[in-house]
Amino acid sequence: MTSPVYVGGANYRALLTDDPLFWKSLTITLKYAVVAVPLGVIAGVILALLLNCNVKGIAVYRTVLFLPSIVPAVASSVVFVWILNPQIGLVNGVLKSMGVIGPSWLSDTKWAFWSLVFMSLWGVGGSMVIYLAGLKDVPVYLYEAAVIDGANAFTRMRRITLPMLTPVIFFNLVMGMIGAFQYFTQAFIMTNGGPEESTTFYALYLFNRAWRYADMGYASAMAWILFFVVVVITALLFRTQKKWVHYGG
Amino acid sequence: MKSPSIDGVKTWAGRGLSLFGLLFLLFFWTGASFSQPPHHVRTKVRFWHMWTAEWKDVVDKIVKRYNDSQDVYEVEALSVPSAGADSKFILGVLGGDPPDVMAQWNPIIPPWAEGHLLRPLDELMTPAEKADFDRQAYPVVKKMGTYKGKLYGMSIGMNMFGLYYLPDHLKEAGLDPSKPPQTLEELDAMGKKLDKFDANGNLTRLGWLPTNYMIFAAVFGGGFYDWNGERLTMDTPENLRALQYISDSNKALGFGNVQRFNSGLDTQSSAGGWPFIGGAYSFIVDGAWRVEQIAKYAPQLHYETCPIPPPKGGKPLAGFSSGNFMVVPTSAKEPKGAWDFIKFWSGLENPNVAAEFYTWGGWLPLTPAIAQSPIYQAYLHKFPQFKTFVDLMPSENETVLPPVPFQTFFNDHIGTTEESVTHGTLTATQALRGFAKTVNAEANRRKELGYDR
Repeated sequence: MTSPVYVGGANYRALLTDDPLFWKSLTITLKYAVVAVPLGVIAGVILALLLNCNVKGIAVYRTVLFLPSIVPAVASSVVFVWILNPQIGLVNGVLKSMGVIGPSWLSDTKWAFWSLVFMSLWGVGGSMVIYLAGLKDVPVYLYEAAVIDGANAFTRMRRITLPMLTPVIFFNLVMGMIGAFQYFTQAFIMTNGGPEESTTFYALYLFNRAWRYADMGYASAMAWILFFVVVVITALLFRTQKKWVHYGG
Repeated sequence: MKSPSIDGVKTWAGRGLSLFGLLFLLFFWTGASFSQPPHHVRTKVRFWHMWTAEWKDVVDKIVKRYNDSQDVYEVEALSVPSAGADSKFILGVLGGDPPDVMAQWNPIIPPWAEGHLLRPLDELMTPAEKADFDRQAYPVVKKMGTYKGKLYGMSIGMNMFGLYYLPDHLKEAGLDPSKPPQTLEELDAMGKKLDKFDANGNLTRLGWLPTNYMIFAAVFGGGFYDWNGERLTMDTPENLRALQYISDSNKALGFGNVQRFNSGLDTQSSAGGWPFIGGAYSFIVDGAWRVEQIAKYAPQLHYETCPIPPPKGGKPLAGFSSGNFMVVPTSAKEPKGAWDFIKFWSGLENPNVAAEFYTWGGWLPLTPAIAQSPIYQAYLHKFPQFKTFVDLMPSENETVLPPVPFQTFFNDHIGTTEESVTHGTLTATQALRGFAKTVNAEANRRKELGYDR
């Protein structure tokens, strides 16, 4: 590599004004953050609520649902390439049994992105455990008082469980957003940004610029922009917490 | 009376000491045996490559052959996962701890040479060696390894693309298997007779479908670089015709149908899972290395090869070539040892010895001297299908990636351009213009920033 040469804001200018793929990758990543992160939160909370029930064999259910989250991303990506195979994959096999012809998940521009969103739910077990811990922390006396006051299960959920869980939801939301902007491994392995750049996430494009094109200055500029975007979104989330996060203490 | 607990402690302490003594002896015994290398004064040469599985075994065999051949250097090979190989190499060079030599794919040569990551091999070659190389090496080998007049990469295995076909499919469709197509138009007509569909109209066998835009640009008489004018050529009538041909071929079969058919096949497999072996294609364009794979995984397969036939107004024996190249990083600690190993493997030193290595990997040689060696000729006799590719090596119509410092960027965008017409997202004209615009913007940006010396 050559020694760094000061080029002022040239890289930022090129990124913002003359690089359609920069905007495309940023849009794809934002879309993923907006869709996959809330979806993960909803799925995680629902699973945690289900696993908070006192039924026989609950430890087994918890373990089974948590296990996928500890499978390395590379291994699960390779497995999902097969699961999403349009001819012999499990997903299309199930759809076929219902009389539906499934698409070419990873090679169709309309479906590749959504396949990765769908796959993101595979790792929801990690946040589910945190939600479960949060549920265990909700004081029992609140429920007792609510029952005495005649609150039904839905009201208890809406007025006690979810508000008391908001600090945990907030934590997972912030971590999920930051993680979404660093989303790389699955796209790198399963689609390598394709088809037609429809899954070129920001981190993947940054990686290509740095390591494939040996364009470190440009990649560094991209990394600073990523940092700035993540800081702004995190700050915005922190500002909104006053309105919806309830700290029991 | 002794306390049982004290007895127990003593017993365990005694056992522990014995075990420690045993380990101590073992350590010195093994240490002594490891500290005596067969060659006392050999200098270590660190070699990185990206081959795995059966290919790694071939590399290890070549390295062993080199190490056994002399007493000066000892090459230590390390297989680096290809996904992280580039970053590992760059960090190694920047951190002052690179390998002494690395086998890489050719598109990295211009960007890494431009970035001062590679050492020109001219500095390591004697004038006689350089003259020999310039005189003997095939034109494509020189084009790929050279950047801005200096040689940065030495081929240890070239690849050419040709047409593979299954004579049994032709026979079954009433075509003469002994007469391969002579023109692209003939190939199209044969392909149509060989396509198979199920009751729902889904493709079950692909007779013929062109893939790889770089290849067809050359076949149509185009290409992406003017070597005399030293400039990129993108939006040309020939290149447009080639892209239009790819687009039309996909459209005729149905964009979705082809996509579904292809994505259901195991196209990622580097080994026995190649769909051609299973009969998914009747005609397919692929690389020379497949001959060796078929020999390993489907030795009974009845298949033939021939050059890609040109269309009317196109060029014969045309296509696109790529290769594995040895590169030496700027901060290599043993560049002389690296060069010695490169000479040995590439065959510049002794073509007859190196010829065997090329046959182990099913690779194309860098000079005619290797191709004409008895071992290589015996290989061609055993696998006559491989001769098609060897015959393409001297062809002036074979193209390579343009020698621009953003070659990997160029290569990636060629792929995206082809994808957009095979999916039917863009017309050939739109796609080619978009490609030219993107590449020109990148070239101008680099020029403005003074990136490219």
